[in-house]
Amino acid sequence: MVASNNTVLRILWSRFAWRHWRLSPVSSLLLLMILAVGVAAFFSIRLANRAAVASFQNFTDLITSQSDGLLAAPVGDLSENILPELRQLLGDEPVNLVPVLESTAVPPRREENEALLSRPTFQLLGLDLPALVNLGSQQDNGKGWFGSAGSTNDSEKGFSPVLRNQLSVFISDTLAKRDQLKIGSPLSLIINEHPVTLRVVGIIPNDPKQPAAPANLLIMDLPALQQLTDKAGRLDRVELVLEESPRRAERWAAMKKKLEAANPPNAPRWLVSSPADRRESASMMTQAFRLNLTLLSMLALLVGLYLVFQGLDGAVVRRRNEIAVLRSLGVTSRQIQTAWLVEAAAIGLVGCLLGLGLGWLGAQAAVKMVGKTVNALYYANSVDSAAFNFGEAAVALILAVIASTLAGWRPAQIAANTPPAQVASRAGTTNYPGGKLLSSASLGLALIVVGIVLTWLPPLRLAGGARLPVAAYVTALCWIFGAGIFAGNTLAGIGKFFHALKINSLTLRLAGSHLRAPSGRHRLAVAGLVCAVGMTAGMAILVGSFDKTMRGWIDRTFQADLYISSDGAQTASSSSRISPATWKAVVANPALKEANVIQFLEIKLGDTTTLLVGNHLAFFRDYAKPAWLSTPLNDDIFNPNRNAKLALVSEAFAERFRVQRGDEIKIPTPDGFRAVTIAGIFSDYGNERGSLLIESQQFKNWFSDELAASLILALKPGYDPETLRAEIRTAHPGLGVFTSSYLRGEALRIFRQTFAVTYALELIGIIVAVIGLAFTMASLLWERRTDLNTLRALGLRRNELATAAALEGALTATAGLLLGIAVSFALGWLLIYRINKQTFGWTLQTDWPWLQLSALSLLVLASASSAGWFVGRWAAQLPAEREE
Amino acid sequence: MKILENNFNKQNFRCVCALLFSMVFFSRADAAEFPASTADGYAIPQPGKQFSFPRDHGSHPDFAIEWWYITGHLFATNDAQFGFQATFFRRALMPPGATNSSASTAFGNDQIYLAHVALVDKTTGKFIYQEKLNRAGWDAASATNTLDVRNGNWSLRLAPEKIGGRERFELHGTVGLDAAFVLNLSPKKPMVIFGTNGVSRKAADVNAASHYLTYPRLATDGTLTLAGKKLAVTGEAWMDHEFSSSQLGAGQVGWDWLSVQLFDGRELMAYRMRRTDGATDPFSTVAWVDAQSVVRQIGPDKFDWKMLEHWHSAKSNSDYPSLVELTAENPVTGKKEHFIVRPFAADQELVGQAGGVGYWEGACHVWDESQKEIGRAYLELTGYSESLKGKL
Repeated sequence: MVASNNTVLRILWSRFAWRHWRLSPVSSLLLLMILAVGVAAFFSIRLANRAAVASFQNFTDLITSQSDGLLAAPVGDLSENILPELRQLLGDEPVNLVPVLESTAVPPRREENEALLSRPTFQLLGLDLPALVNLGSQQDNGKGWFGSAGSTNDSEKGFSPVLRNQLSVFISDTLAKRDQLKIGSPLSLIINEHPVTLRVVGIIPNDPKQPAAPANLLIMDLPALQQLTDKAGRLDRVELVLEESPRRAERWAAMKKKLEAANPPNAPRWLVSSPADRRESASMMTQAFRLNLTLLSMLALLVGLYLVFQGLDGAVVRRRNEIAVLRSLGVTSRQIQTAWLVEAAAIGLVGCLLGLGLGWLGAQAAVKMVGKTVNALYYANSVDSAAFNFGEAAVALILAVIASTLAGWRPAQIAANTPPAQVASRAGTTNYPGGKLLSSASLGLALIVVGIVLTWLPPLRLAGGARLPVAAYVTALCWIFGAGIFAGNTLAGIGKFFHALKINSLTLRLAGSHLRAPSGRHRLAVAGLVCAVGMTAGMAILVGSFDKTMRGWIDRTFQADLYISSDGAQTASSSSRISPATWKAVVANPALKEANVIQFLEIKLGDTTTLLVGNHLAFFRDYAKPAWLSTPLNDDIFNPNRNAKLALVSEAFAERFRVQRGDEIKIPTPDGFRAVTIAGIFSDYGNERGSLLIESQQFKNWFSDELAASLILALKPGYDPETLRAEIRTAHPGLGVFTSSYLRGEALRIFRQTFAVTYALELIGIIVAVIGLAFTMASLLWERRTDLNTLRALGLRRNELATAAALEGALTATAGLLLGIAVSFALGWLLIYRINKQTFGWTLQTDWPWLQLSALSLLVLASASSAGWFVGRWAAQLPAEREE
Repeated sequence: MKILENNFNKQNFRCVCALLFSMVFFSRADAAEFPASTADGYAIPQPGKQFSFPRDHGSHPDFAIEWWYITGHLFATNDAQFGFQATFFRRALMPPGATNSSASTAFGNDQIYLAHVALVDKTTGKFIYQEKLNRAGWDAASATNTLDVRNGNWSLRLAPEKIGGRERFELHGTVGLDAAFVLNLSPKKPMVIFGTNGVSRKAADVNAASHYLTYPRLATDGTLTLAGKKLAVTGEAWMDHEFSSSQLGAGQVGWDWLSVQLFDGRELMAYRMRRTDGATDPFSTVAWVDAQSVVRQIGPDKFDWKMLEHWHSAKSNSDYPSLVELTAENPVTGKKEHFIVRPFAADQELVGQAGGVGYWEGACHVWDESQKEIGRAYLELTGYSESLKGKL
């Protein structure tokens, strides 16, 4: 009777594959967990990224459901006088015009020396509260907004207390529950530099079709927020919301046309966009950051796949007897190969499912980290949890199953091609077919050369100014694989060197003998180590270089005595400013030698957003001591009488906009474009979007804006910064006043905190590499079990065999380490001079963290020896014929 | 056109005569009775007020409550018929002269404007409506020197130029994205002022009184756009302008109000102030407007308001009268006349999400006792879902 193909496969699956997994649950679980960790790293980063981007949804979406359009000024904010003009322009059009003002605020410090970034940032949304009930999405919430406001049953009178009391605030249900706030509760905040105590007048009604309002969202009546933020008569944007109708899109298109037609093209007064455009631009802002994270997480998956390969290969070794029997019974090599591939795919599937669960858990932790970074560098967000996303899960699943099937391809081929006679002869170690590829030194060298050539290629430029160093990433892969392949050859060298030492120890000679003609498995293990060590050490070099550069930059930059900002300004996304009355009072202090009033605005040059900074440029030169990449040719740029048409740009700006000294930039202002010439380029690590510095006076002239972002003060000799700091804090408790030494320490602390994740990645890399080595050792020793039995029969003790295995592991690890460290130097260079420079536009000073690299080497050696020792002990007691 | 102008002048003259007549002979409103303002400082309507137009078409911010109210019946060229309502409310949030901490003119906090636009297709009974609520400022305002009131994209304005010697009002309204109208309203008859000596009382409490100005019949034409399809329409409308500082007295929960345009050229305005026990308050009235705009009012002893059927609103869980029979004594003939009022559609309820005041306001047929159709009406039923006391 000839069994059908499917029946054979079913039998193979249950009697051949599944039985093995069941009999060795620990190693099965280990393999699954390794894959799961790889998938989890990938999936959690993807989910966290997605949540951070999704968190950018306009906060107003929670109220408007979704606006059809957004109208904003080309630069800066809008005057509220535009509102009646828009209504008149749109005539009878049934559109809700929703004026919006946004700001940020933080609670006051609990203690004077509270660390920076330790307080939560609230997002304050100023909306025309009574008009909200006109929105279709809020019709059912009409009483929700004001039913709880005030103390009267009279819903109309319910408006009065809210509208009259400028300190009225609506909070989310989440915040009310979390902080046990009730209607009437006080809520103390710093808004701009004003310490204010708001009064909770209601809970933001929940729209069932929208996510619940986040805890950090506060809603105030728009004119009240205008007053509190010193922005009387100003708006951030106007959102346009149409009623639900099948003709909604068509009507909006007609209205948009009307708005655009009324906008003078030479000096546009407004920009009309859609919420999707806004999300898109936010998404583009963080694109490079997210892509880098994704690629890092994919590397984790890649290392995981190395292990799947090694694990499956080990399984082939252990089941070779059975394969021979099956082949003798007439099972075709194709059927065996298919069974292996199904098994590999099943490992991918199960490992991935485990990984999805782990990844989802990991995402909850990662999202806070990603959210915090996005908040600090890009825009305010309220992300504190990452939702499970089936699309991302499907991507991870497909990736894991395909990759694990591919990883199983070679072992499957080996299994299928194993001649029954070879196994029957129990010839001990076999030639590992993959070894041919891995022993090809020329292939390794070729890959390394290809990688070198690719380093000359420029980054891929994405919309919105983001750059992706694709070629550099491919270089990294080429070098990792190339060095991995090449590494096998060093193994033989080490073996021979060891042999040449003629050490009089059976154990040691036994260990060295296996390396003189390393098997394919040895080479694979070394390649895995090269990959893990190279990446880990490369990352350490990058972080070390970053750290060194930042220390230098921070020391140079913070040369003045006192740095002042709103105590509510904790992040780059903060919109807290210092009102003119306050900063003018501060800079009038007789203790001051000089003061620099910094103002900045986000501007768009073409489609790309960057920062325009109003600054006293001579003060910048004297107290920030910029490191010049292109030094100004003369002192005109520092002379307020001669620098009206000059500007300085940061390195990131120059990279992003591909400009150099002498180039002209056209800056959009409310009165049209103004041209400035680049006088110099300085290195700056403050932001990746780039900065364009102009003289303060120009900034004031062009933007009629007097709100300051920060103040930098230089004191006359003999005055104590600490004393003045205390004096200013007492007079203006809403100001954050920092001495340069404090700020230097905090800046470094925050910087190091953001790199904490890389240490975790480094650790994962080492663990994975060592486990991979243990797998390999197990496979090798399993193959040699007959030899081991012979050696035991000849009188070798179990511990001696274990020591031999430990040494073999250590020597293999040494080969991996040598090449891995070499790769790490190359990768460190690549990360610093290509990937980092191309992505962020920052030039870093190279630092070689020798101590960290030594510790890493010792850790790898120790782990590899221990793994070898334990596997050796285990193998020494294996009977020649016993199944695992 | 000349004939029309002459007629109109004659009508104006008659109206003035009628006013003088009512002021002299039927005055129950003694100025001494009426304090100048409420306890919280809002103005109270004063008997003998000298109205001046167009100023008094405009807003009176000294009073707490004001509304401009237009209802009407439209006939499209394709034989479709519609009833429409557009109401612009103003409600003061603080009495005149109160200290106002808000410096914002774009986002005021002293007045709030509520508006309703409703449309009923008389053939299908489909009723649609929308509410708008805006604070005084950039998106809602009412002029004090003429009629120019707007709320969002809705507006009611007195056109600067007269047509044939008659005023012309422009009304712009929309319901959602799919219904819009632009209507020209021109008085067919002179304006009337209800009440006694210029004061329309609603309760024994003198605070509960209003100045109540009405154009009982306005020729209407314009366009109605439904789902992108533009229809030319003509018809007749009724326009009220009422301002007060309180519309209800102690023990009252709401009112039933009716405006009837009879085919014979007369109009009828009736309101029944309802007490908490459902009884008719003695300050209820029926006002007869004859073909010459002469107003004659009768008290509740001379009319009978019967609710023959009810309709239950699931949305507000309220029972509204849906068939009303009004029997009123004609003050000219002394005979009783019967008016059976039945809505074109049962559901013409405005639930009141935005303003918090739910009511029913709908276009109705008017039949006599022989079931002969004798006119068209708008019926307003308030205080059925909840008491309006303290709100209006």
